Amino acid sequence: MQRIESVRQLALSVTCAILFAGTVAGAAVAQTKVVRVWHTETDPASVKAVAEIVERFEKAHPDIKIEAEALAWGDLEPKIQAALAAGAPPELSHGQPITCTALQQQGLLLPLDDVVKAIGESNVWDQIKQVCRADGKYYGLVHAAGTSLLIYRADWAKQKGLKAPKTWSDLIANAKALTMDTNGDGKPDVYGLTIPGDNLFINILVGELIAANGGQLFDDKNKPLFIDKRMIEVLNFWKELTTALPPGWEGHGYLDTFASMYGQKAAMMFQGYGRGASLIEKYVPKEMQDTDHFDVWMKPVGPSGNKPAVQVDEEPWMLLKGSKNPEAAKEFLKFFYKDENYIEYIKSVPIHFFPITKSLRQSAAYKEIPMVKRWGGWLEVQQEALDGDLAKPTLVVKYEDLNTKPYLMQVLGSGIIRDMVLETVVEGKKPEEAAAKAQARAEALIKKAGYAKW
Amino acid sequence: MHSSHRRRTASVQTSQARLGILLLLPAMLLLAGLTLYPVLYGVWLSLHHKHSFFPQQSWAGLENYWFLLADPEFSESVWRGVVYSVSTITLQIIIGVGAALALNQYFPGRSLVRGIVLFPYVIPTVVAVILWKWLLNNQFGLINYGMVMLGLTDEPINWMGRTYIMTSLILISVWQFFPFVVLAVLARLQTIPTELYEAARVDGAGPLSRFLYVTLPQLASVLFIVVLLRTIWMFTKFDTVWLMTQGGGAEKYIRTLPVYAYLRAFHYYEAGTGAAASVVMFLLLVVFAAVYFMMFRREEQL
Amino acid sequence: MNRRSAFFLQRFSLALAIIALLLFTAFPFAWMAATAFKPSQEVFYWPPRFFPEQATLSNIARLFEETRFLDYFRNSVVVASATVLLTLALATPGAYSLTRFRFRGRETLAATILFTYMFAPIMIIIPFYVMVRYFGIANTHLALVLGYTAFSMPFALWMLRTFFQSIPLDLEEAALTDGADRGRAVLYVVLPMALPGIIATGIFTFILAWNDYIFVRILITSDELKTLPIGIADLYNSSVIDWGMIMASGMLVIVPVVIVFSFIQKFLVAGWGGGGVKG
Repeated sequence: MQRIESVRQLALSVTCAILFAGTVAGAAVAQTKVVRVWHTETDPASVKAVAEIVERFEKAHPDIKIEAEALAWGDLEPKIQAALAAGAPPELSHGQPITCTALQQQGLLLPLDDVVKAIGESNVWDQIKQVCRADGKYYGLVHAAGTSLLIYRADWAKQKGLKAPKTWSDLIANAKALTMDTNGDGKPDVYGLTIPGDNLFINILVGELIAANGGQLFDDKNKPLFIDKRMIEVLNFWKELTTALPPGWEGHGYLDTFASMYGQKAAMMFQGYGRGASLIEKYVPKEMQDTDHFDVWMKPVGPSGNKPAVQVDEEPWMLLKGSKNPEAAKEFLKFFYKDENYIEYIKSVPIHFFPITKSLRQSAAYKEIPMVKRWGGWLEVQQEALDGDLAKPTLVVKYEDLNTKPYLMQVLGSGIIRDMVLETVVEGKKPEEAAAKAQARAEALIKKAGYAKW
Repeated sequence: MHSSHRRRTASVQTSQARLGILLLLPAMLLLAGLTLYPVLYGVWLSLHHKHSFFPQQSWAGLENYWFLLADPEFSESVWRGVVYSVSTITLQIIIGVGAALALNQYFPGRSLVRGIVLFPYVIPTVVAVILWKWLLNNQFGLINYGMVMLGLTDEPINWMGRTYIMTSLILISVWQFFPFVVLAVLARLQTIPTELYEAARVDGAGPLSRFLYVTLPQLASVLFIVVLLRTIWMFTKFDTVWLMTQGGGAEKYIRTLPVYAYLRAFHYYEAGTGAAASVVMFLLLVVFAAVYFMMFRREEQL
Repeated sequence: MNRRSAFFLQRFSLALAIIALLLFTAFPFAWMAATAFKPSQEVFYWPPRFFPEQATLSNIARLFEETRFLDYFRNSVVVASATVLLTLALATPGAYSLTRFRFRGRETLAATILFTYMFAPIMIIIPFYVMVRYFGIANTHLALVLGYTAFSMPFALWMLRTFFQSIPLDLEEAALTDGADRGRAVLYVVLPMALPGIIATGIFTFILAWNDYIFVRILITSDELKTLPIGIADLYNSSVIDWGMIMASGMLVIVPVVIVFSFIQKFLVAGWGGGGVKG
């Protein structure tokens, strides 16, 4: 009989569960305006800072509810896609600069000029204003900027008498010198260099290297330039670097390469960012947490280039057309960029997040941030790159590329460039051969997308 | 015997077909509503050119399919999917059957051990993958340390690099899914009449021949179904493979068919081509199932 | 070789096999637990040490302070339980019907159920999202429950069907001749006998809902509605790989599951056995 009792209970609970779920669903559709905010800063400190700003905002605007969600890059795209397909995009989302312009050209974005006006147009750094701008309007507003950095072990470099590398061959020489066998077993325990092997970072790096080598990825007719001499030089350079890279480097993610640095298993990190300073302060012994041990160099120049190039990590906020409460979202952004709120966000990863407003960067409060004081040298190198126009977003060589090459986001997603690098560097194919294959694939992709003009 | 059975059951198996359909209807409606529409949408999408973000779309006919046939990446991913499925299923069956045989013996603490063996199957895939990535980590991982200590390798191996990532993926998948085989086989082992073994023993059969001639034929039916289900599940397995490549892991070398379809749809932004790839995956499985039934079904019913 | 030594050899090899099996399955969990109690600098010791030198609860503390682990946990339990209830409520009568009634297309129906598994779930997610959005239930647990129920339905129907097949019809008939109506016959005779199978099916359904990643990722936006797999994946993806905290979360995820499973493990095995899984 007990069993039958439990069957009855089961039926009852099912009914209850369904009713309950229905009520929960109903309650979610309350009267307040909901603003969905998708961002890609998943660091707990940043998530916390955003939550704090949201809380303050909601207190000041009781009729608006902000639903902020932090997502890894890999998860963001399918989510945006599903939301667009359902005709229910979020109000605000981060995106790569190339994604921003592609969406803007399809008329899927709303301008953020009101927000820029509220911040004060002259208060925003000029470099920032070039991102995702069309017809004189701002379709994207960068949340914070940070350039890529060549991080190195200053103590070891000093021991070996190494200087800042000016050219790619200098870098290779340094990397070789810093590949060390510390325990005398004939195998290196410290590798001269560490770089990530995942798709996004290989693309970032190729974009950066081709710019530092005086080249371009695509010509004015959108034809890929992968079989160009400058690209072959990039591939050959990468191949030479492998003598100083740990075996299996292609299996390392971005954070693994940081781990190599603070885990004392690598001496240089080619694709580092200011975030590294936060990680160093967390994981290395106290007496090593300074620029005497971990410092940064400006990146070197390729054989066919004449000035260095770095990538700038500056994802814009995008305001999506068709979302329910765009005006409320703008209010949130205006609030977000107010000095007293924005500094909370910047503080969560201070050396990586450059404020986009001059007012904050020049404020005493910013300069007083302890990490800004400790890692000032890292900020100077980034400032130099930004002021000298050496820093460009992923796969962008000239700023016009953002508007004239909307297919860049597909090129990035396709992994064509990553495959070309891995085939050369890991699988041992001839650079010309791998480049020719990538050229054919990229040509097919651009034709299919309807941008081929050659 | 068959016909008398049928006559006897006629009173319960009445012609109350309406009641039967009524009882099945809710389940079928849910299934149809929530999976049929998405599947048909996928088929429709595969016949169109459609950018994943942008609204415009145009009729493509079979162009997406022709494109796939000509795409070397696609055929590579099919091949990788086959390698992955065949090797994981073979290992799952061998380890699973072996484990079930051992767990069917009596020994102290048996039910505890049975419980432990099931753990890998009940934890979220995310946890399983992260746990193994930590064990296999090439800089701080325990497995590398053990291998260096035992002299199996000179220096730590990067298990997520080109050479070993497929091996690592297979290892993790087998670890995660072999308990399913254990469950199914163990259940069947418990229903084998002990008289069969005694008869074999009287005939002088050793442990090996008892396994070959008594146990294995009894397991045929359950293995038939387990292999079928696991093939479908491994061939369409996405999360384990995809999570392997998140935060490091040479994705290029474990790009199986479901991952290829996902990349086409979400990273190349070619929703139509992605849908076409998953339709092809579906068709390949249908063909497999048909061949599989033709080859084994008859014997299994004997 | 005499009988006695043969016996010992057999026991010895059994012991070896059991130990190997335990090492393979349980050792990773042991390492997980060991890491969960290490302070962050110790996690990166090389050579690694198995036991923490200064065991700490700080990883677990941070998990509760800095993340919404408890919320995620509760959500996972709610969603997975509701999925089990709904699936069983729909699949039990369905499977019963497939074994007891004759209607046109019954056999083909059973076979086509299998087909739904052959379509990759990742391709279903977007149209599925479009649908739940249309019905206004995106970003609710209800959407997840419905999705998981649909996905576990084929397997549930199939497993329960083989189970009902094994219950002799005579018993039902006896109840019917005693004057009970069909509903009572099912309630008092068939269901109690099928209970182990129903529980086993429930467990497989639970596992599916408990493990899912991609549905939650796409369908759920509010942090307070997320389930554990997403919560843990976000910890992993966040810009600081905090191995100690991640391992602590993994450990806490499995502890309750392990407790529950050690109690119901016998039903799992029985569930498969009862039906004989003849396909």
